[in-house]
Amino acid sequence: MSDGVTSSQGGGPNSGAPGNTNSFRGGIVVAVASLLLLLMTFSIASPTVPRVLTIAIGLLGVATAFGFIPVRAPQDYYGGIVLMMLAILALIASADLPGQRGFAFGPGTAPRLFAILLFGLSAAVTLVGITSVGPAIEKYRLRGPLWVLLAIILFAMFIRPLGLIIASFLTWMISIFGSTEMRWLESVIAAAVMTAFCVLLFVYLLNLPFQLWPQPNAFALLWQQLAEFFRLMLGPLLKYIGVIA
Amino acid sequence: MSDLLANLALGFGVAFSPMNMLFCMIGALVGTLIGVLPGIGSVATIAMLLPITFGLPPVGALIMLAGIYYGAQYGGSTTAVLVNIPGEATSVVTALDGHEMAKQGRAGAALSIAAIGSFFAGCVTTVLVAALGAPLTSVALLFGPAEYFSLMVLGLIFAVVLAKGSVLKALAMIVTGLLLSQVGSDLETGAGRMTFDLPELADGIGFANIALGMFGFAEIVRNLEIPPEGRDILMRKVTNLMPTREDLIRSAPSIARGTTIGAIIGILPGAGAVIASFAAYSIEKKFSKYPEKFGTGMIEGVAGPEAANNAAAQSAFIPLLTLGIPPNAVMALMVGAMTIHGIVPGPQVMTKQPELFWGMIASMWIGNLALVIINLPLVGLWVALLRVPYRLLFPSIVVFCCIGVYSINNAPSDVLIAALFAVVGYWFAKHDFEPAPMLLGFVLGPLMEENLRRAMLIARGDVTVFFTRPISAVLLGTAFVMLVMSGLPMLRKRREILVE
Repeated sequence: MSDGVTSSQGGGPNSGAPGNTNSFRGGIVVAVASLLLLLMTFSIASPTVPRVLTIAIGLLGVATAFGFIPVRAPQDYYGGIVLMMLAILALIASADLPGQRGFAFGPGTAPRLFAILLFGLSAAVTLVGITSVGPAIEKYRLRGPLWVLLAIILFAMFIRPLGLIIASFLTWMISIFGSTEMRWLESVIAAAVMTAFCVLLFVYLLNLPFQLWPQPNAFALLWQQLAEFFRLMLGPLLKYIGVIA
Repeated sequence: MSDLLANLALGFGVAFSPMNMLFCMIGALVGTLIGVLPGIGSVATIAMLLPITFGLPPVGALIMLAGIYYGAQYGGSTTAVLVNIPGEATSVVTALDGHEMAKQGRAGAALSIAAIGSFFAGCVTTVLVAALGAPLTSVALLFGPAEYFSLMVLGLIFAVVLAKGSVLKALAMIVTGLLLSQVGSDLETGAGRMTFDLPELADGIGFANIALGMFGFAEIVRNLEIPPEGRDILMRKVTNLMPTREDLIRSAPSIARGTTIGAIIGILPGAGAVIASFAAYSIEKKFSKYPEKFGTGMIEGVAGPEAANNAAAQSAFIPLLTLGIPPNAVMALMVGAMTIHGIVPGPQVMTKQPELFWGMIASMWIGNLALVIINLPLVGLWVALLRVPYRLLFPSIVVFCCIGVYSINNAPSDVLIAALFAVVGYWFAKHDFEPAPMLLGFVLGPLMEENLRRAMLIARGDVTVFFTRPISAVLLGTAFVMLVMSGLPMLRKRREILVE
């Protein structure tokens, strides 16, 4: 799923009349993402279906990039493509699960069923993106999302080693950079008030077992947490692509 | 009838326990508190507050969530009247006449009529839910897996057809939700499915992570992109909370009509409460002697829709409590909360946990009462909250949501998963995909799979079982007809008008 997301961010950053540079960018992103999916299919036992579908999407991406496809509704067109790729990813991830045995569903039956259904529906969405005129994709503003995302990720990093108080305060202070109207004094006061409120609510009223202040071995824990996150994020890729490498 | 009374008595016995009353009141209060904040709808409010209810006993938690739901709904109406920003799609029509009334210095009357109308609608619908609960449940108990599966298909199709936007894309979203619900251990064999060998995903993707990521974080980021507009905040003090005698006489029939419409439409899946409030407004216009005056501060235009949306919000509990099928995103959140407490929503709840079922129904009434006696007098506080600038609000919500997600399992990885879904939600918004159908698909996924598997096993692999069993065939047939009809150009136009 993670690559579905990253590809989508580039998948047509703004408006796209047929054959212009945006189509080029969108198509290239689609092609590269499907190359990644294609690599993943090499580590599974029965790769035919996902591989054929992936190659089809890749070709679609190339065709889009070179202006062979009139993208009239970019929102639907790229949206459908990304969901198709999500469906393929699900097919790859559930490929090794046993399927139907006699009358009984195996663990893999329902996931594959839903994945194929999703592929069909999102192919239809993509088709709508070619046949009917629709709005362009709104511009992605990076400032808000990036700061807020950074704040959330740092909260996840800090909460165990540094404790609730520091994690909350820092998360507040980082996320406010997502806004253009930041004022230092006001922000520091508000962050402190919010931190105090959360400590009061979660620790004293709801009695949740939180670490309040940094742990003595905070630094080591921080590294541990970082390693954990890398395992979490790279794990899926390593599982399927690392085998080949 | 005596059964009904006995059941309601049981329910009130549960709901009137001091602790549960307190949970209900706090819920209604906090729900309004968050609901009046600009840009935060009732789904986001419930998603945000979900984690703090996890520590409570199941009955208390659900009662509190129901309270939060009503509170958030009412908060949406409050902002509609005071600042002309409907916090909720359901209060869009309230803003039309409500804000005009506020401009004429009659904000107090508008708010109190909204509360009184909601309360009346709540009283009637509470009885309706209780009365329909038992018979519908007994019907549902006759259902086999095939019927259940078909019923869920019908519910999902209904939700898609009545919701706004493209039907095709909403279907794609539902299936995306179904697919995501498959991550985790298989119910029967215990095999890890699509987990990428990550232990964090062995139990599936946490419901709260998705809800908070898509409705909490993603909403915030989206709101940041809306340029700060000069909001026309009412600086005048809200006085005269009591409506005049004339107000009451004029709005009484409107409230009755609104309640009836709302209660009926609310049972249907999809955007029940939204459609109900729009329908109520147009009916008030038809019944009025001065239809041309609507939009200039007619009290009927506040009373009818407000009663309707509250009635609909409440009768939406009927399919959830009796059949276990959530008709909209809010109810999907309730299902998620129930599952976290180990309650499987469905007809068996009423028989196995009568105190939960009837306690929740009784608490609906208490929640409505709480709106009138607590929230109305606090209007001044809500106005003050409305003045909090967004730049101070959104970091606070980020922090609150982070702590909420983390607190469920004390797992930092949950926060990361929520962050991932924030990105997904943001991307969905950019491509005009509605997140609500995905959430519905996600909560119904495991149930659908279970019933599908069972039905196929019983029918020895024969797919036609869904069409040869009469009830199942009717349900699927209805779903099919609905889907075809939504594609017809004439109806599509009507739908768009309704959504406008």
